[in-house]
Amino acid sequence: MPEPLVVIDKVSYRYPRSPDLVLHDVSLEIRKGEFLGLIGPTGAGKTTLCLTLNGIVPQFYSGRFFGQATVAGLDTLDHPISALAQHVGAVFQDPETQLLSTSVENEIAFALENLRVPREEMLARIPEVLAAVRLDGMEQKHPHELSGGQKQRLAIAAALAMQPDLLVLDEPTSQLDPVGEQQVFAVIRELNQELGMTILMASHAAEQMAEYADRIALLSHGDLITTGTPDEIYAQIDLLHTHHLRPPQVASTFYFARKAGAPVTSVPVRLEEGERALDTLREACPIAPPERLPEPPAHGGAPPLSVRNLRYVYPDGTEALHGVSLDIHTGEYVLIIGQNGAGKTTLVKHFVKLLEPTEGIVTVDGVDTRTLTLSGLARRIGYVAQNPDNQIFGKTVGEEVSFALANLDYPPEQVEARTVESLEAMGLQNVRDAHPLSLPKGDRARVVVAAILAMRPEIIIFDEPTTGQDYRGAKYILDVSRQLHQMGKTVVVITHHLYLMPEYAERVLVMGKGTILLDAPIREAYHEADLLRSTFLSPPQAVLLAQHLGRGDGRAYALLTPEEVAGCLAGGAEGKGRAS
Amino acid sequence: MSQTPAGKEREVRLVGGAAIDGAPVTYVVVLAAVVAVLSFVPFSVIVAAGGSFPMSQGVYSLVGWILGPVAGAIAGGIGRLIGVLLAPHTAGPVPAASVWGAIIASLAAGAMVLGQKRRWWWIPLSVLFIVEFLLFVGRAIFVNGVGVGVALANSFVNWSSIVLYMLPTRTLFARWINGKNVGLVTLGLFLGTWMIAGISHLSVTFILYWVFNWPEEVWITLIPIIPTENLFRCLIGAVIGTGVIVGLRAIGLIKPAEAIY
Repeated sequence: MPEPLVVIDKVSYRYPRSPDLVLHDVSLEIRKGEFLGLIGPTGAGKTTLCLTLNGIVPQFYSGRFFGQATVAGLDTLDHPISALAQHVGAVFQDPETQLLSTSVENEIAFALENLRVPREEMLARIPEVLAAVRLDGMEQKHPHELSGGQKQRLAIAAALAMQPDLLVLDEPTSQLDPVGEQQVFAVIRELNQELGMTILMASHAAEQMAEYADRIALLSHGDLITTGTPDEIYAQIDLLHTHHLRPPQVASTFYFARKAGAPVTSVPVRLEEGERALDTLREACPIAPPERLPEPPAHGGAPPLSVRNLRYVYPDGTEALHGVSLDIHTGEYVLIIGQNGAGKTTLVKHFVKLLEPTEGIVTVDGVDTRTLTLSGLARRIGYVAQNPDNQIFGKTVGEEVSFALANLDYPPEQVEARTVESLEAMGLQNVRDAHPLSLPKGDRARVVVAAILAMRPEIIIFDEPTTGQDYRGAKYILDVSRQLHQMGKTVVVITHHLYLMPEYAERVLVMGKGTILLDAPIREAYHEADLLRSTFLSPPQAVLLAQHLGRGDGRAYALLTPEEVAGCLAGGAEGKGRAS
Repeated sequence: MSQTPAGKEREVRLVGGAAIDGAPVTYVVVLAAVVAVLSFVPFSVIVAAGGSFPMSQGVYSLVGWILGPVAGAIAGGIGRLIGVLLAPHTAGPVPAASVWGAIIASLAAGAMVLGQKRRWWWIPLSVLFIVEFLLFVGRAIFVNGVGVGVALANSFVNWSSIVLYMLPTRTLFARWINGKNVGLVTLGLFLGTWMIAGISHLSVTFILYWVFNWPEEVWITLIPIIPTENLFRCLIGAVIGTGVIVGLRAIGLIKPAEAIY
């Protein structure tokens, strides 16, 4: 067994202003060449643990530190961050915050210059690391010209150029679209498997972690709960649920099936294993698609939002929308999906007049948006942008929620009444006087929604609300969207996280290259796997398992969730055998 | 702490030199950048000598309160120097004086300490400001023949600032900025900016006056203008400062060792 590169011994840590320990008696070893996945809910201490390894915690943040952490034999409290940086390369969540130079080449050279690496050595390392992350040929590009996935790969290249022993990645794909996520995971797998790089990666991407990690460490509320192989950890669904973590859908499917009485002996955690287990199960007992599946409700009447032949060309000449037409009806819950650059955000920005059509027309309640004012539209349509923090500027939650009303000259008593109403609807009444940025990210999104709700709009648009959120945070926001939907509002959501949406959305618009490729009920849209792949989306594992069942017996299994697939498996099983 | 750690407690310190006088270099860089960016915004014309001066004058004191006297002076000075080079339209007739004004403002603001450390820094600074004031107003009265009343009325912002800086009001404003009451924080920022901007104005103006020697008519014209301009500096400092300080406290980012907020 390889020797340990990282030894964390009884490490506890408390931030200066925090009353509680963020890490509590964590003891962990990471062996050379190992890919260790770090999972845990928001607030578990994952980022703190990552920052401990390059000395930023506690050297930069101060606070109280107990125990010992060593990397390549260096105690992280006794050696400067600059010395530790030569052993630990770090890549964080948002690539935008890590890039500061004016060319790809300069970006990689920056850290090397700070470490006084000789010029010849720098010139030798730059092409090497660019090749390792598949960015060769882009040396002179400005980092802002790169896609999200390319930016994150550049951040990895900059870390690799220091020739670290350990690469620490803190949720490196959570801000990326599916294409970027695939690119980053492919590069990390290559670095680990072909170059033997030791990896510590915190991530909520359960399916990928199950696929790539050698070992998983589960952290919760600062405590290291357990470590084990992905098969050991992801098969413990109850444990994961206890800590608000999402297992791979294939694992959930077989877990629910076993609970419902299907003859399942072990829970597979990877798709291929799940498909093999389905084949075994099918031999053991008959499986049939359910006779009835829930139908989405019909929505009629005049559509409050209508788009006809919408074409939009950005000032730089990029044609982002090509003749898009659609109607959104009162009370619908519409999901818009597609790769980055498909035109999703461009489309919804026309709904709120943040953009005006180059050609075509957008109408709200039958009125051309070009004749409406922004403030008038804001009363009818609320827009929650991708990063809620960008919409927050008040010093207190109450001020934030009442801001628009006060600026639209509503009487003070009406401002107060609506503010209270919105805060109560979003469960924020107890934090009315808190600074919005002091709240967790999920709550910050609620503050933005409350501010929009105060305007009592009929249509609410969520633009990628789940990006950067953990499972609990994403569900939290989507539950808010459902709550609004149940209040009779029309909801439009853009997201890449398809696995989250079956219990919320009714209708799906699949966009690609500025057009609507498909407009269908969710049950139909999610099973158009080839069409989804054409816009770089992958159906959730539950859908893929359902399609595997269909390929086996030629029948249609229009299933969407692990529970539905599990119900199907359990429904056909009469305890005739056991599948693994 | 509700939980007792099993590991031995370690001494926590920053190993290496990524800080200036207890302020992380990243903070110094960010605040220098803020000063540089605000240098692009012309804020008012310089009646006596021509040109305009920048909006960044409203935040020099804030830089000192956040970073302390040494790191604050470095950030303010570097930011203004970059501003002078990139935005010459706000550099004024003597750009070096403008950089000096930023340095002295952040230094004087940072020296408004509440603890024991550097508690006497205000004395040599006050002596410097008195000397500057005497050189400025003295030259006007005794060399250029400006009336005493006109000279004192014109320099109201300057002498009132020196008085406020020498009296316990200096510490009172610092205590308000340091306190939890957001209203008092804003008031402390407003009055503190009056005091520091007035001192900075003196440090720049006495140099300009020795170069340009503007006549008494200009002194009279400036009597209502200078306090009005200083009030705008106070507004800028209070509005930006309250947001920054409330935000910094809320997100719990590491506080520079010499910060007073």
